[in-house]
Amino acid sequence: MSRPRFRQTFTVLAILLGLAIAPVCRAADSTDAPTLSEIQRELKQLAQDRAREAREFREERKRDRQQIQVLEIKVQQLEQKGTKVQATTQQLENTDKKLQATTLELEQTNVQVKTLTAKVAAPIPAPEFASDFGRYLGSHTFQITGAAGLDFVYDQQSGALDGFHHATQNSFFFNFEPMFLYRPTDWILFEGEFEGSFGQTGTATDIPLADFQITLNDYMTIVLGLFDQPFGDWYENQSPMWVNRFVSAPLPFGVEAVVPPSEIGLQLRGGLQWGELGQDVDYTVWGGNGPNFSEPVPGAALGGPTAIASSQTNGKSIGARVRFYPLPIDSHLGRLELGASTYNGKWMNGNWFNSWGVDFNYFYGNLQTRGEWVQSYRQMGGGLPQDSRQGWYLQAGYFLNGINLPGLPDEVNNYIHRLEPLVRYSGVNQHAVAFEDIKGATGIGVGGLQVGLIPDFGLSGSPALFAPHSREVALGLDYWVAPSIVWQNEFDLELPRAGGVFVSNLGVSTAAGSIPNDHAFLTQFTVGF
Amino acid sequence: MRKLFIAILLAAVTLGSVCRPVSAQTMSKDEKRRLILKGAKLWPVYCNQCHNPRPPGEKAPYEWDQEIMHMRMLGNMPADNARALVEYLKAR
Ligand code: HEC
Repeated sequence: MSRPRFRQTFTVLAILLGLAIAPVCRAADSTDAPTLSEIQRELKQLAQDRAREAREFREERKRDRQQIQVLEIKVQQLEQKGTKVQATTQQLENTDKKLQATTLELEQTNVQVKTLTAKVAAPIPAPEFASDFGRYLGSHTFQITGAAGLDFVYDQQSGALDGFHHATQNSFFFNFEPMFLYRPTDWILFEGEFEGSFGQTGTATDIPLADFQITLNDYMTIVLGLFDQPFGDWYENQSPMWVNRFVSAPLPFGVEAVVPPSEIGLQLRGGLQWGELGQDVDYTVWGGNGPNFSEPVPGAALGGPTAIASSQTNGKSIGARVRFYPLPIDSHLGRLELGASTYNGKWMNGNWFNSWGVDFNYFYGNLQTRGEWVQSYRQMGGGLPQDSRQGWYLQAGYFLNGINLPGLPDEVNNYIHRLEPLVRYSGVNQHAVAFEDIKGATGIGVGGLQVGLIPDFGLSGSPALFAPHSREVALGLDYWVAPSIVWQNEFDLELPRAGGVFVSNLGVSTAAGSIPNDHAFLTQFTVGF
Repeated sequence: MRKLFIAILLAAVTLGSVCRPVSAQTMSKDEKRRLILKGAKLWPVYCNQCHNPRPPGEKAPYEWDQEIMHMRMLGNMPADNARALVEYLKAR
């Protein structure tokens, strides 16, 4: 019970008690009893008190209600907060669980890291390291090799060749031939080469090589694809820029090629040691698409054999090559190679093209010599006589790295040690030459020389090269920066012999008259990768 | 002639696939030593035949594996000599 109500009740009770007692007292002592007016005053006072108290009570209730409202609002707010708090608590619980899981994981990781650290800290046995490193490298290997070179040709042409216009040449050429080697297993190798040549009159591109080499066993490797002709030493082994000691190709492998430079098909090859160390013998047999010629029309078919890329023949070809090394390494007599090659194929689907060649190379100390002889016979259509050709070259070089000129300072002698003077004599004999080939000889991109890019780059363009009986003496001086980086200089003396005929594309033949001797200078910087 | 060639080729390929080359990985120390010494003897002779000999330091060991596979094909080198050259070039 609230206090104002208690006070009110108490007041009412007091009044009633007063009223009850008053007559009794009056009867007993009528002289001491309060007067009526006093009683009335007190009653009035009491009524006033009651009214005030009631007013106060109302006000108090009003305040109480207000307070209750305020409290209700607060309770509501608190309730809302409560739900939020619940959600937050839930979230916190979840996070806690996650944290527990993470801590567990972390503990596990910690254990693993400790184990690994212990492993790493322990010395790795060599075979394990090798296998780890092997895994890092992967089992497939890939390399880009090839070569690049800049070449400058100065060809002073002293006279006309049977009325043909030709001009002195003064040109730069650039050749870039990246080669890709890819080895997916230890018995399969892929090689592919791209060739780009840039010259004064244009650019030319080619893919001279793309083949798989599959090692079957110690004595047999199969080659499948587009490959250099395994005929003689030149196409397969001597033609790369940094490998060839000269800037130009020897005549039988240049503009008047005697055999086609490449083939699409397959080869089987291998070698063995027949005697002491160094006494080897090896073989290559192949079959392919066969030869084609730059002028496929009977009667005018006198150009060089083309690369297979534009082959139109259906005749197919087969060939073989054998190399023999008679000298044992321990005899210290040097290294001698003797080789023989054949090529038999049909061109224009029926006419024979047969060729054979022999070659040698010999090395002794700083001396190196090479030579090849190639002979080909071609059956001609239209009742024309057989077309026979011969080509050859003989080359020698001597590295000056053992020579110390007395009186010269060491620095100068060190330069001399890097020099290799060279000489080469080459020639081609054939009965007839197509005019087309001569016109195409002024630079890369013009006319499209018939044997791919090989003669375009490193070719003096001298008309004398196209004479039916061309002869050339080449003098060289190479400066070797490294085994595959070289600055080469070549001075060519063209000494063609008269004879034979020129055939126009209409089939008109004119006897070759006098052919001027010519000089050319070629210089080249080349890097083999 | 051509049929004979094809027949020989097929026979050779069949024969070849039967006797696969032995992997050089399972090699004893003595065998490795023998190959390296032989390779050192062969390198100035074999590798000088077509071009200047390319020195061992030019290529990484794994590249020599690939390189000699390529050169072995071009030179038709006896297999053991090719293995010796690889070991020599990789050993540096
Ligand atoms: C039968 C000739 C021949 C012999 C022997 C030879 N090479 Fe080569 N080598 C070449 C030719 C050709 C190239 C240029 C690439 C091409 O045309 O396939 C070449 C290229 C190379 C390259 C450049 C990368 C490449 O594959 O093109 C390296 C490195 C090399 N030879 C190392 C050697 C070593 C080392 C030896 C000795 C084991 C060797 N060669 C023996 C012919 C030979």
